[in-house]
Amino acid sequence: MADVAHVDDHHDVHESTGIENRKLGMWAFLSSEFLFFGALISNYLLFKGRDFGAGTVYPRELYDIPFTSISSFVLLMSSLTMVLAHHALATGDQNGTRTWLLATGMLGSVFIGGQVFEFTEFVLEGMTISSNPAASAFFMLTGFHGAHVFIGILMLLSLYGISRRQGGLTEAQGLNVELVGLYWHFVDIIWIVIFTIVYLIP
Amino acid sequence: MAEDHAAHHPTPRQYVNIAILLAVLTAIEVALFYVEQGVEEFTTNMASPLLILLAVLKFVIVVGYYMHLKYEKSLVKNFFVIGFVAALVLYAATLFALGIVSGVF
Amino acid sequence: MATTTAAPARTIFRRPASTTGFWSWITTADHKKIGIMYGYTAFIFFILGGLEALILRIQLAQPNGTFLSAAEYNAMFTMHGTTMIFLFVMPVSAAFFNYLLPLMIGARDVAFPRMNAVSFWIFLFGGVFLYTSFIFGTSGAPEGGNLAEEVSRLGAAPNGGWFGYAPNSGTRFSTGTVMDYWAIGLQILGLASLISSVNFIVTVFNMRAKGMTLLRMPVFVWMTTVVAFLLLFSLPIIAVALFMITFDRTLGTLFFDAAAGGDPILWQHFFWLFGHPEVYILILPAMGIVSEILPTFSRKPLFGYPAVVFAGAAIGFMGFGVWAHHMFASGVTPITQAAFGLSTMAIAVPTGIKIFNWIGTIWKGRITLNTPMLFAIGFVAMFVIGGLSGVTHSIVPADWQQTDTYYIVAHFQYVLFGGSIFGLFAGLYYWFPKLTGRMYNEATGKLHFWIWMLGFNLTFAPMHWLGLNGMVRRTWVYDEGLGLDSWNMAVTVGAFIIAIGLLVFMGNWIWSKRRGPIAPMDPWDARTLEWTIPSPTPEYNFGVDPKVSALDDFWHRKYSEDDEGRPVRRPEADQLVAELEDVGLHPPAPIHLPNPSYYPFLVGLAFPILGYGVIYNDKAFGIPLMLLGVLVLVGSAIGWGVEPLEEGHDDHSDHDDDGEEG
Repeated sequence: MADVAHVDDHHDVHESTGIENRKLGMWAFLSSEFLFFGALISNYLLFKGRDFGAGTVYPRELYDIPFTSISSFVLLMSSLTMVLAHHALATGDQNGTRTWLLATGMLGSVFIGGQVFEFTEFVLEGMTISSNPAASAFFMLTGFHGAHVFIGILMLLSLYGISRRQGGLTEAQGLNVELVGLYWHFVDIIWIVIFTIVYLIP
Repeated sequence: MAEDHAAHHPTPRQYVNIAILLAVLTAIEVALFYVEQGVEEFTTNMASPLLILLAVLKFVIVVGYYMHLKYEKSLVKNFFVIGFVAALVLYAATLFALGIVSGVF
Repeated sequence: MATTTAAPARTIFRRPASTTGFWSWITTADHKKIGIMYGYTAFIFFILGGLEALILRIQLAQPNGTFLSAAEYNAMFTMHGTTMIFLFVMPVSAAFFNYLLPLMIGARDVAFPRMNAVSFWIFLFGGVFLYTSFIFGTSGAPEGGNLAEEVSRLGAAPNGGWFGYAPNSGTRFSTGTVMDYWAIGLQILGLASLISSVNFIVTVFNMRAKGMTLLRMPVFVWMTTVVAFLLLFSLPIIAVALFMITFDRTLGTLFFDAAAGGDPILWQHFFWLFGHPEVYILILPAMGIVSEILPTFSRKPLFGYPAVVFAGAAIGFMGFGVWAHHMFASGVTPITQAAFGLSTMAIAVPTGIKIFNWIGTIWKGRITLNTPMLFAIGFVAMFVIGGLSGVTHSIVPADWQQTDTYYIVAHFQYVLFGGSIFGLFAGLYYWFPKLTGRMYNEATGKLHFWIWMLGFNLTFAPMHWLGLNGMVRRTWVYDEGLGLDSWNMAVTVGAFIIAIGLLVFMGNWIWSKRRGPIAPMDPWDARTLEWTIPSPTPEYNFGVDPKVSALDDFWHRKYSEDDEGRPVRRPEADQLVAELEDVGLHPPAPIHLPNPSYYPFLVGLAFPILGYGVIYNDKAFGIPLMLLGVLVLVGSAIGWGVEPLEEGHDDHSDHDDDGEEG
């Protein structure tokens, strides 16, 4: 029987498509997320125009567009810092990578902070997740988006921490930065859709 | 990984320019919102398509340049697009069946 | 099997290293072990689902039965359906995918071995979690209902049907916790399948042997790929729906509360947007299996391989466009009904193409009617019957009459049992020698088949006319004198015959695994790559990476064709087989495989902990449990992320200075 050693091969011997396994996997996963967020957005679209009777506090009455615009801007800029982090690693700038990873995480946290603030305001103004179906749909959609941002921040901080501990990221680990970047940008484009459809469109 | 990245990699300068473009588009969107609120002749029917267009632009720019899809192999593009198109078609049909003629209006 | 040692790892706990023994199963990342675990676990659930069916049939054997209360009946039919779909057919298909996919494309493992393991553990713990509702679940009676106030343990399981329609599944009509177990259990199970789907897609696209283009892959691999895409795009939809019902039940959201302006029909749309692709997920693996078996035992290539592949992809694609045919009687508009009636008729076309191609495959072939072949042909016949009744549902006014009667049950049981299950069992017999290195007992196998042909048809054929004569579904009693009595008794007898057949199968499996005659590497003189390696399959699969130059490459290396297209065995065929076996048993170079890992098991464990925390969030231990679940999940995920797939390197990247590439 063969002497089977457990050594190398976690990086595939040959990829029939020429695209790394994890990268292909991440794109496939993100593609499925369109179905996830699509359902949540459809949910909101279904209920946003309905009449729930007198005394209802509708989400659209409570939106603070200037505030949310700034939040959106922050998230957009975090995509810039993310792509700069990826670029820094590609050019071997480990310090820069860490800086931009941290910046992305921090901008993401500012966004989350803004969401928390916004939701708290809504609750204080009389709209909770159980007030009416439109409110339920609003909170569920933005809540899941925020949860995705939060998970992204965890991943960014993990990469940052690993880089600090090891004194830099290797080339193979660089793929992980790219993957987290893809995820992060995806969460950003979902927000682009949400901002328009939920907040801006009448 | 290194190979296809080195070949088609926008520079940091270009990334920043893209970010500025995105910010400008966002500003236009917000401005449109206020115009639609304030100017009665600028009806819903005009604001919404423009807002959607702007959102689509931002979407495509982030996907194409930040997510690098513009430079990826077509298999990757296909993977991504299938989900998007599927979501669009399925949910439009569902909303139609539920009595919302078009998802947005 | 050699016990391996691994280089010391820089992790907190020592990395597991053994490939034998109990712990090697807990920590395995080997697709074959994972496939075996899926298979046995799914089989246990098959028995549980079958017992639920028998209990149902005892109740329905006679009019106004008193064996079960209404509450118990609801739980039994819900769990029967949920178990058979999510805990049997899907996982046993996963068992086949796991075991066979890398072998059929010439790979050593799947793209993400640890993710593969985590899919199994999430499934196992999710299934167990669901079943603990029998122990811990409460099923209160809604106000004004006619269910017993006190519900026995048998009734303390999810009871809203496998489809959990709102508003029945909400807190108003389903007090107690059983529907929470259902929603959260299914959510957990869905996650397992979603993770698998990403894994299989990347594996198929990226890990094929040299020369194996997509159109040289076995049909089973194609069907696996289509199923993976169906899972990838349909599971997120039900995930949202399950979150919505869970939030309605625990957070007070109002999605399905009509009085508050919510929309119960929304549940139906989201559920069936998933639910219809789901049924193609259930049938396509069996179609793939049968597409491998029929050519082998007809000694002819599959008739019209490109058409079969294309039809499979078309079924997958079109499967997304028919969901509202489950809602013809739910009050959707005439336009919706017409559109979906048409699309449902259309989907019969690619299905028909496959059937004709299967018939074309065996036509004028040199047929061996052994057990796998009998089940495969049985599949085609039974599936045609089920498909025909299905097409009758596409005629909307007829469907209004058929909906919620036993006629519908007859349809789906013919396609699910006569179709999927017959196909899956065909596969179990076909690949038994590869899995175990021994041959099952052929006479006993045939006995199993004929018992099932009798029992299956006796059980489900009468349901066609029971339904058309007015017997409604999901009813725990029916009145006497309606003309339903004797056929219901016949159905119950048939169900017990099925059970006997299953016992025959189990006996054959257990006995043959230990005492069956040793099987050669290629006992069926087959066509695909898994038959070019020793039986039972070595840990590393292939001694050397295979190369292919055609569809059914192995067959063409054994056989050429005469002027009339009949296969002629090449003189070098026997030696080829012997050489393949030799290189399979004695690989020339050291082979590198992923190390075992604890983390997939731990990640799987986190989800039921979270689930219990959510269900009992109002109790003192609820929130702490949720936090514990999150802690286990995040901690294990980070540990996993830091752990390299294989030990023996200082970091991930020095495959450059290594020179050995598996």
